[in-house]
Amino acid sequence: MATDTQQARERDLDGVRGRFRLYGQTIKDNWFAYALLLPTLAYLVALLWYPFVRGIWMSFHSWPFLGEPEWVGIQNYVNLFRWDAFFTSIEATVIYGLAIFVQLFLALVAALVVANLDRFQNVVSGSLLVSYTMPPVVTGTVWLFLLNPSIGPVFTYLTNNNILNEAIYWTVNGDSAITVVTLVTAWTFWPFMFIIILASRQNISDEHYETARVYGASRLQTFLRITLPQLKPAILIAVSIRLIWNLSKISQPLQLTGGGPGYETSILAVLMYNLAYLDGRLGVSYAVGMVLLVLTLAFVFVFIREFNRQKEAGA
Amino acid sequence: MSVKQQGYGDHLYKIALYGTLVVLLAMALLPFIYALSISFRPYSEVFGTVHWIPKNPTLDPWRTAFSDLATPLKNSFLIATGTAVLSLIITIPGAYVFGRKQFPGKDIAFYAIIVALLFPYILLIVPIVDIWNDFGLYNTIPGLWLAYQVFVTPFAIWILRDFFEGLPDNIEEAAMVYGCTQFSAFLRVILPLSMPAIIAVGFISFLVGWNDFLFANMLTTGSGPRPAVVQLFISTTGGEQTSWALLMAETILIGTPPTILYMISRRYLGNAFAT
Repeated sequence: MATDTQQARERDLDGVRGRFRLYGQTIKDNWFAYALLLPTLAYLVALLWYPFVRGIWMSFHSWPFLGEPEWVGIQNYVNLFRWDAFFTSIEATVIYGLAIFVQLFLALVAALVVANLDRFQNVVSGSLLVSYTMPPVVTGTVWLFLLNPSIGPVFTYLTNNNILNEAIYWTVNGDSAITVVTLVTAWTFWPFMFIIILASRQNISDEHYETARVYGASRLQTFLRITLPQLKPAILIAVSIRLIWNLSKISQPLQLTGGGPGYETSILAVLMYNLAYLDGRLGVSYAVGMVLLVLTLAFVFVFIREFNRQKEAGA
Repeated sequence: MSVKQQGYGDHLYKIALYGTLVVLLAMALLPFIYALSISFRPYSEVFGTVHWIPKNPTLDPWRTAFSDLATPLKNSFLIATGTAVLSLIITIPGAYVFGRKQFPGKDIAFYAIIVALLFPYILLIVPIVDIWNDFGLYNTIPGLWLAYQVFVTPFAIWILRDFFEGLPDNIEEAAMVYGCTQFSAFLRVILPLSMPAIIAVGFISFLVGWNDFLFANMLTTGSGPRPAVVQLFISTTGGEQTSWALLMAETILIGTPPTILYMISRRYLGNAFAT
């Protein structure tokens, strides 16, 4: 019995020693690769994962900016779920998230049109990218002017030509405010998806289309059987990344409506920003951030699942 | 590029194709064209009827924009340039290893970096403000250089890795036959060959540093290195009497440099994501 344990222990120790020897050897053999990798990995830990973990820690505190933190357990989260404005904010976030469908539609249509042009593909796709390459604050400012109810050209044009009786003061009504904010965001960032989908479309070999033509496939059939299936990975990547990034964008909601009226356009990211920046309540702010993270992951998860399911049904 | 299809629907198809194209281009460009037109108008011509060509063109809004934004634009330039340089120093070695070396743990390490793309960056503003404050990086230009690496690194690694991977096999071995070490082969053979991709990534990093509002606003104050984007944001949310001609001149002034850089570098970028 005693010897058995001892033997087992020695076997374990040998195993451990062996493993360390193996690790040592691996590092020796690949020292050059690991040395070059170090700066990137160091960045990753220091600037992303450490702040993230620290943020989670902060969300369990009452943490005033420049003040003394105090442990409050899950109180920040409990208070959030008892706060009506928080649910208004979640609703706004879901509507804001729907911008992704507008973006996907525009990106898909634009990619197919551009890929079928005989000439000027580069100039056309370059022109379509401008809204994305400019800073969002810049495009937000342009729309703030264009859609200004009292002096902006959009409502001036509509009222001068009797299409509308009077300008719509969209900032004072929750539904119209969130609609405008969502559409401006969709307009600003859709080219990101267009770039990815177009590159993927251009990688599809012409041979596939030749074959389809020889077999007399219609344009719709060609699209459904050749183009769409091959674009699938690109669409998945584009939608997932874009959706996550959309939900982090705050400058345009802040510019267009400042989160109002009330909390109607305070998407979670804006709520988080206002709690941290205006109120200096870092702990509560990060608790909102954690809810946003969970909601974002849920969106992406549902999207990927639905996308795969529809693919199977369609095949 | 296009597939020629036979059939009587061809004309209809062409009309639909170019019709859609015109709508898309109008949607993408008209807002900027109108903004450009406004930026050359005197105060009295901003309101009233909608027209595209300024009747009494003036350069006043542009003069004011240049003088108002001189310091913020200089800050933006310093912030963006440093972001680009630092990002290349951090990512070139890593991307090279991912593109051209085999070693245990390669896939895990690569995905650990790429998954950072899926991180909602807004979650970093709270802890980073706090940490930056502790380390004296708050309200400094180097503080922004460091912060922007979070946005830039995953992209840069991805694009550069693809480029390194595409270089011919065995050029390092060939260099080593001629007396290079592993490191000097990388420095003297691979790096010069990769200049186009490296410049493209540098431009994109510059664009990120120039365009970002989130960190720029959280990590700077009026007494510090406030960049142009934040200055513009404050002008639009200030609430006082707004001079729209001036603001439109400022938007175009701030928006043009990143747009030009992106157009120059974009042919190296698209394929990184198009799996």
